[in-house]
Amino acid sequence: MAMLSLEIITPEKILVKEEVDMVEANGSLGEFGILPGHTELLTSLEIGEVRYMKDGKTFTLAMSGGIAEVVNDKVTLLLDTGELAETIDVARAQIAMEEAQERLKDLTIDSAEYRKYELALLRAITRIKVASARKL
Amino acid sequence: MATLRDIKRKIGSINSTQTITRTMKMVSAAKLRKAQDELDKIKAYALKMEELVRRVTRMLPVDSHPLLTTRDEVKKVLILSIASDRGLCGAFNVNIGLLAENFTIQNRDQYERIGVWVFGRKVKDYLARRKVDIFKEWVDIKKVDQELVEAIASELALLYINGEFDKVYLSYTHFASPVKQIAVFEELLPIQTENGAETEAATFEYLYEPDRDAIVETLLPKYLSTKIYYALVESQTSEHGARMSAMENATSNCGEMVRYLTLIYNKRRQENITSEMMDIVGGAEALRGT
Repeated sequence: MAMLSLEIITPEKILVKEEVDMVEANGSLGEFGILPGHTELLTSLEIGEVRYMKDGKTFTLAMSGGIAEVVNDKVTLLLDTGELAETIDVARAQIAMEEAQERLKDLTIDSAEYRKYELALLRAITRIKVASARKL
Repeated sequence: MATLRDIKRKIGSINSTQTITRTMKMVSAAKLRKAQDELDKIKAYALKMEELVRRVTRMLPVDSHPLLTTRDEVKKVLILSIASDRGLCGAFNVNIGLLAENFTIQNRDQYERIGVWVFGRKVKDYLARRKVDIFKEWVDIKKVDQELVEAIASELALLYINGEFDKVYLSYTHFASPVKQIAVFEELLPIQTENGAETEAATFEYLYEPDRDAIVETLLPKYLSTKIYYALVESQTSEHGARMSAMENATSNCGEMVRYLTLIYNKRRQENITSEMMDIVGGAEALRGT
């Protein structure tokens, strides 16, 4: 069966480099999935999850945006930051989430600061979600 | 003429210099290893990004983004010179300084204005002494961090789009291996495209999400900051490599010097003994005569 060769790369390191059956990610127009034979695609990614399936198993990552390219069954994800579910430090994410929530309370909605902490909150929530989903 | 004691003192001083250079070499080696790890981390990302941008821009019309457009009239040129704050690393800083200096001299008549954004105290001093226009400077960058680079990149992009500069060059030291570093001088903006250079690969059209302009709008600034980030990290790695070899040379030169001086010292000592003996013998001879 045709496979996708997936590469997930962050400025920190190469997170994933293997043959997989399917990739799902959170694009700027919502979630999308890629199967072998997909057309050439270039899309920006938003804060959210990346999932890929291999041999019936699903692997999950939390990421904070980036760019995805699909050419010739080669999927390349260039992420700003990314963490595999099993390496996420839930306690830290929890602290980050609480801090962001705290900050958001005293800020007005349209300030740049607000936007910044809103994104921080979103990242923290995604990380917690990804990490806890694995345990279930 | 140097006395025996002078030579001895000199040998002692060179020996202690050698101890220092040897230590510095070991420190640099340790720092180099760390910097190399850092470089390896970002390398994959930077290369992929480069590849991706090259592939994408090949299919774009040249005027689809201001960062891609080559301007017909180039008046103001900017050079980003990246080197280091500290010396004792051989020709590392001078090489980068020379590239900017030579470019300025050669093209002074061609352009209205040539300026430099400089990273590192040593190369800043070098260029300032040679009357090169320094627009901005960054010194004491301990660790390259994403935030700083992004600020620099977005400022650069903004100034470029506003027509503040028509062409931007990037000059840094490429890390080929621990003992080999190459100073490079390359065009940064407008972003180089291989438009029409190769038709075979350009036979497909991407499906862009949300749309092409939005993608290009996020991709190019990201590419720019990655490029600068990578150059900074490479430069730091090269610096440690350069310092390591410089200190290695210094250490071996010290050894050579000590060997040479020891030889002189022994010769001189022998001469002294010989002439003293001659004196004694001569004296005894004279006494016997009476």
